[in-house]
Amino acid sequence: MQLLRSYQLLVTWQALRKKAYLPLMMAVQTLFSLGIVLGYPLLFPTLDRTSIYLIATGAPAISMISVGLVALPQTVGEQRTEGSLAYMRSLPVPRLSYLVADLTVWLGIVIPGVVLGVLVGAWRFGLDLQVSPLVVPAMVMVALTATCLGYALASVLPYMLTVIITQAIVVFVFMFSPLTFLPSKLPAWLETIHSILPIQAMGEVTRGTIAPNEFGLPPGAFLVLAVWCVLGFGVTYAAMTRRG
Amino acid sequence: MLLQLEELTKVYRTGTRANDQISLAVGEGEVFGLLGHNGAGKTTLVNQVVGLLRPTSGTIRIDGRDMVADPGLARRLCSFQAQAQVPIDGLTPRQAIDLLGQLRGSSKLEVRRRRERLVDALDLGEWLDIDAARLSGGVKRLVAFAMAAVSPGRVVMLDEPTNDVDPVRRRLLWRQVRTLADHGAAVLLVTHNVIEAERSVDRLAILDGGRVIAEGTPAELKGRLGAALRLELVLSPDSAVVPISPFPGSSVSVGNRLMVGIPMDGAGQAVTWAESLQRAGAIEEFTLGPATLEDVYVALVGGVETRPAEPEEARSATAA
Repeated sequence: MQLLRSYQLLVTWQALRKKAYLPLMMAVQTLFSLGIVLGYPLLFPTLDRTSIYLIATGAPAISMISVGLVALPQTVGEQRTEGSLAYMRSLPVPRLSYLVADLTVWLGIVIPGVVLGVLVGAWRFGLDLQVSPLVVPAMVMVALTATCLGYALASVLPYMLTVIITQAIVVFVFMFSPLTFLPSKLPAWLETIHSILPIQAMGEVTRGTIAPNEFGLPPGAFLVLAVWCVLGFGVTYAAMTRRG
Repeated sequence: MLLQLEELTKVYRTGTRANDQISLAVGEGEVFGLLGHNGAGKTTLVNQVVGLLRPTSGTIRIDGRDMVADPGLARRLCSFQAQAQVPIDGLTPRQAIDLLGQLRGSSKLEVRRRRERLVDALDLGEWLDIDAARLSGGVKRLVAFAMAAVSPGRVVMLDEPTNDVDPVRRRLLWRQVRTLADHGAAVLLVTHNVIEAERSVDRLAILDGGRVIAEGTPAELKGRLGAALRLELVLSPDSAVVPISPFPGSSVSVGNRLMVGIPMDGAGQAVTWAESLQRAGAIEEFTLGPATLEDVYVALVGGVETRPAEPEEARSATAA
């Protein structure tokens, strides 16, 4: 009861704190999606059907990752530095309530960008997407994994290192991750690394549920995401409850 | 005693000994001041009580219960105003105070009643529904105090509550601090504003280098100084003459000021001496007044934080 009550109050608190950023975040995510679906055809004027679907479904995945693994860790790192995270940790409520409440609000920030990303892709390429009924849990899973991992990064690393790593993630996700292309295009060693990292699984789950007629949904992808999600949540919770 | 710290020691991984064998006790209805320079270990101490830091050794008890073993209970029993600004940008003071009150377990109705009383008492009404992002630092501190006071725990810890607050509202705030104690809370007040602490606390401890170097009521500590009066000389920058005190009490130099302890029956002699120094051009001005906690602090710690003083803290006798 205390968990639920404090969760509700903290969601209100965190949502109010972030409401000013929500339009900005949505604008940035929309720009990401627009950049991808408008920019890639400029680079590659002749795109085959598979590539078009990969780009249209890769855009929302990149949008989720950009918030969860870039914007979120930078924000949380800043909160750690300025002491506001310590204040929230000093509140008379279970830390689990705070963490779950903040993740809920971040999910609320991520999800509208995903919808916009899908719409932008469908509009640009004139696609008639037959989304899977699994799309909602799948997107929540991807967004939750990205936000948990982003939170974990910011919780354990010094702020400056967090900023540097998130910048590296941007490059890695855009250029060297199989989100807008298939893993088989990668060198074998990088393909092996991606089979363990969560980014490829995020891409597979996103395209497999947004465009199920075009792409399969490897069951292992959910398992990979679940493992990373639990790992991210566990590390974050441990950092949240740790006394220095 | 409600809050009891025994031999509390905190050594950071860097090797810094921030708290060193600190033993303190704060009773119900008492306002206890924790004074010290920046870096004296005040905030480290408070953060251990509220469960943000784990002591290296020693015990923290509230009402006899071990807070080191149960930091969750510590957070429920303590209200806390942190030194950093509260993260309430995007919220109005009304929303922030109400949320905190409800998070502490009070009903909506009770929170509203107490919030209305606090907002009136702190004269915060005009900002009640303005986004905190647009509020000044001082108003935010008052809101942070109201958040800590709206549904107070048995222990209330206030870390520099008056920073950036204007002189008029500081007085209102101190009155509310006293009200908290009057309603039975043990108030632990962290500050480096010695002048304000003298007026507001029942007892205090002075921290230096992580250790308690003095503890008692303001009167007890001033008694230790051995001088009822304080002569303050503002040295002339052009003069090569260094005044040598004819009095046996302590004299402390801070910047271009020299503070000399004077016994009560030495007032006449002190004024005569100071006037002769002024005629000789050795000092620009002098002040004779009752010894203050600041004198004790300076004598013990050897320097003082300069904080903006309230208008009535003007000298009792100034010659220029």
